[in-house]
Amino acid sequence: MIPKLLKIGVVHFAGCSGCQLMLLNCEAELAILAQRVDCVDASMITSATCEETPFDLLLVEGSITSPSEQQHLQKLRLRCRHLVAVGACALTGGINRFDAPTRETACTHVYGPVADQIETFSPQPVANFVAVDACIPGCPPEHSDFLDFFGALSCGVWPTQRDAPVCMECRTRELRCLLEEDHLPCLGPITIGGCAARCPALGIPCEGCRGEVSEANRDELCHLMAKTHLSKSELKRRIQRFTGGENV
Amino acid sequence: MSRQIIQPLTRVEGHGRVILEQQQGRLVSVQLDLNESPRLFEALLVGRSWQEVPELVCRICGICSSVHKLAALHALEQVLKINIPPAAAIVRELTLLGGHIQSHALHLFCLILPDFFGVPSVLDLARDRHPLAMAGLEVKAFGNRLQELFGGRIVHPVNLVIGGIGQCPAEEQLIPLKEELAALCEKWPAIAEEFQASAKYPAGGAPVGCSLATGSPIGFDLTGTSLWTADGSEWPVADYARLLAERPVSSSHAKWPTGEQGPFLVGALARQALTARRTGTAPDTSRQNGIYANNTAQLLEIDWALSRAYSLACQLLDLDKTAPCRIPPDGPRAGVGIAAFEAPRGLLVHRYILDDTGHVTEADIVTPTAINQQVMAKQICLDLAEEKDQVRIVKTAEQIVRAYDPCISCAVHLLEVK
Repeated sequence: MIPKLLKIGVVHFAGCSGCQLMLLNCEAELAILAQRVDCVDASMITSATCEETPFDLLLVEGSITSPSEQQHLQKLRLRCRHLVAVGACALTGGINRFDAPTRETACTHVYGPVADQIETFSPQPVANFVAVDACIPGCPPEHSDFLDFFGALSCGVWPTQRDAPVCMECRTRELRCLLEEDHLPCLGPITIGGCAARCPALGIPCEGCRGEVSEANRDELCHLMAKTHLSKSELKRRIQRFTGGENV
Repeated sequence: MSRQIIQPLTRVEGHGRVILEQQQGRLVSVQLDLNESPRLFEALLVGRSWQEVPELVCRICGICSSVHKLAALHALEQVLKINIPPAAAIVRELTLLGGHIQSHALHLFCLILPDFFGVPSVLDLARDRHPLAMAGLEVKAFGNRLQELFGGRIVHPVNLVIGGIGQCPAEEQLIPLKEELAALCEKWPAIAEEFQASAKYPAGGAPVGCSLATGSPIGFDLTGTSLWTADGSEWPVADYARLLAERPVSSSHAKWPTGEQGPFLVGALARQALTARRTGTAPDTSRQNGIYANNTAQLLEIDWALSRAYSLACQLLDLDKTAPCRIPPDGPRAGVGIAAFEAPRGLLVHRYILDDTGHVTEADIVTPTAINQQVMAKQICLDLAEEKDQVRIVKTAEQIVRAYDPCISCAVHLLEVK
């Protein structure tokens, strides 16, 4: 019997395309993946475009920045059984949320006289407009995030959402603590793991690209950060980089 | 007058569309819109510390994040007056080459190859384990292996930091890599030949535009201190703004280069043509297959990148690995920093002005796809002027755009559609 192919789509909003590139970066697994899925709409990956076909699964990358994107997203939601928000921009607005100091002034800064023709609002997470069934975190997500995801789906279940911090992975790998020992501004204690502590392993402090764990102890982090060279406002910006710029 | 809109453009990075206008069955005007969402990077960088800039700007583009990060690091290190250690320079270049190989292989084997076999996607080729697609994916994976090992991550590399690098890979990682590189250098020519043998392109005229690329006294390189143009002139990188004269215009959503010598063509084809003219070291492929010769030029660059990576890996093995690979900056400085790199799809310039507290007061980023947008439209006009078949017009216009390997997220780091 030929197994039914899962009809998937990938849609890109404001972002860098790094998330869907990470899917294509699973080079060794693409042949196996292609046995399980049929990509029916994804402008970077396929020239097939089906305006009406329902999707079993729609992967959404990027944040929503205009009324037309919002409408497009809502139309797509009606066509898909499951919607998955992929990457920091889709999950929190990501670094697009940095509109210093406001969206209007940023537009004027860049576009000058044609700025008032631009219909745009501050970048928003996908979940502000549509129901999201699952999330793949990261800026960008890891290889393993995609493989875990499709692996679980092919067994008929959603993958487990990780909620243990990067610090746990540092401990497991017995890495030197950059925060306590080197006084570097590492966000490992409050950031969702799953990257095998990629940055601390290179001596680079975690920048929080996988988003915050659900019970992030920011007070304790700020206390530990007191010994780093960062000023209060720099620390705030660092924490905000991938958390959507909410109040810290 | 009839109007046809090709939207979305597929198998390219980002969102774009082409508007074709015909009069009595003749193509009279072509407009290319890069209708991505606004990113406003140049505005969001203002007021931010130099320490944040590299991590932020690599997020302009997921495909060329390594070269964006490197351009930012070079520009900022100029202001901070840092000369990075030799091992760091080699690790950075290996990351750059990895990015170049992965990006070209993505374009050739994932975006272009389906056209040769009449399938919508590389997934359709992978499903049947098509030998050429599988070989191409292996090369792409190898480019990513270089970015992973030297850059610390495939997309948005983390190992490249101000003053050098985080860590240099250990000898036990470098030795097997060197062997893999040697094996791939052997294998590559046959893969490239197979690609060329399978290639099917529509007929097309000579590539439009004045070739533009960074120039280096040492021959072919992915960075340089000057800009070369096809008419034989050489400009210091610092004069890029005068040469390109980019302006925001209401008819396009990208800044348009309005420089007198333009419109400019950037990318692998422009690099090959200029290197051939200036140094006589690379074959001139610009007269074959119209703009599709860009694919041939990319194939040749993968060959060059693999052998360059091999020699760098050998050099790195010979270096003293106990020496520090990062020079920490001794504090902020005021000044202007400019760096020009060859991103896989062409010239990339980053320019920053910092104040004496190390905060950005001005940022300018010129990307290759923004430069190429004029020649893309002109090439469609030229190649399809006499074409009458509507189906073929749409298909070919899309193939022409695809041949430039546009990266629309890059181009619209400051753009918006109406």
